[in-house]
Amino acid sequence: MPENEILEEILYNLKEINSKLDRLLSKGEIVPFSNEKLNVNSSLDVMMLLSLPDHLRTTATTLFEIGPATAEDIAEITRKERAVESNYLNQLVRMEHVEKYREGRKVYFHINSNMC
Amino acid sequence: MTFTIAVHSAKGGTGKTSISVNLAAAYALDGRNVCLLDMDVRGPSLRTFFKHDTSGIPFWVNDLLSGKRGINEVVVDVSGELGTNGKFLVGYSKADINEIRELASKDRKWQSNALKNIIIGKKELIRNGTDVIIFDTGPGVEYESINAVAASDIVLIVQSPTKACFDCTEQLVNGVYKSLNKKCAIVDNMHHCSVDGNVLQQKRYDIPVLVTIPCMCNIATRSQEILVLSDRGHVFSMAISCMKHKLESFQ
Ligand SMILES: Nc1ncnc2c1ncn2[C@@H]1O[C@H](COP(=O)(O)OP(=O)(O)OP(=O)(O)O)[C@@H](O)[C@H]1O
Ligand SMILES: [Mg+2]
Repeated sequence: MPENEILEEILYNLKEINSKLDRLLSKGEIVPFSNEKLNVNSSLDVMMLLSLPDHLRTTATTLFEIGPATAEDIAEITRKERAVESNYLNQLVRMEHVEKYREGRKVYFHINSNMC
Repeated sequence: MTFTIAVHSAKGGTGKTSISVNLAAAYALDGRNVCLLDMDVRGPSLRTFFKHDTSGIPFWVNDLLSGKRGINEVVVDVSGELGTNGKFLVGYSKADINEIRELASKDRKWQSNALKNIIIGKKELIRNGTDVIIFDTGPGVEYESINAVAASDIVLIVQSPTKACFDCTEQLVNGVYKSLNKKCAIVDNMHHCSVDGNVLQQKRYDIPVLVTIPCMCNIATRSQEILVLSDRGHVFSMAISCMKHKLESFQ
């Protein structure tokens, strides 16, 4: 197999693994504190950040650093695929750690801290 | 390029504040624009080092964290008083028991916003031409300290030679610093001469040990002074200078 095909295959498999992990995560099986979700607000503070799985933590940390951003902005910094970051961001949205809003044709994400 | 150092430790009293103040002064002496912030809001200690009248300070690091004020309103320039070439901004935290008690009861929402506010302040400092930002933190896993760690580029871990300190640091390295993807460096402080100098470690937990500072009574008895300013030949001042160089090339 030529090199680029092998790379493509690896990339495909990685994505597959990622999305499987994400599905697991969104069921709340790996994320600690999820049992608190009912009575504690879901603001993403630094302790919560530390309890996130590595891939989500990187995304969330980057969002903290650059403020409201699109999946593309995040992907540029983390050097992951836009689609991958979009997936992570939406997971964070489902966990209520991140909020999203639309501005024109773009979708922006920001850390949810329920305060202005 | 600006770099931000959080001076942190697992246990208290390891020399973080002494090192933060002297390191900041050393950079300012070099002509770097420096900002030193007291992130130890539960045990404010920076004010003891600076002789100017702080009774008239209208705003504090506390106000930065709560979002009431921006960074420019909470810092004081002490470069005139100290005679440094570079700008030397200091942000104090408020030594008022009511304030500290209230901080202890802040919820996660508040802490999440505090982190955002620190990052906003940091960006503002960068825009204003600050070269080095130093956060003096409180020991252990306090919210304010971990927020400062999260907002930094480098964590300078100050260790004193006790087993408890070593064990706790290892936990922090794996459970906090590495998780937040921070570059780390260790300073061994209060080192006892009885320990064989030849076995000094270069690395610990896979983190470089930058310098080893001996335990000396006259560091403690002169703790009101900023030694890099008042006594450049002092062992402590030389150690700070060495640390300063190593941190620069650490980038
Ligand atoms: N190498 C040393 N030898 C002897 N005494 C030292 C040394 N380094 C610092 N000290 C002294 O130890 C005391 C504690 O130092 P410092 O306040 O800097 O520690 P800290 O880590 O900031 O403490 P805290 O955790 O309470 O904030 C001070 O009196 C200081 O002068
Ligand atoms: Mg201190």
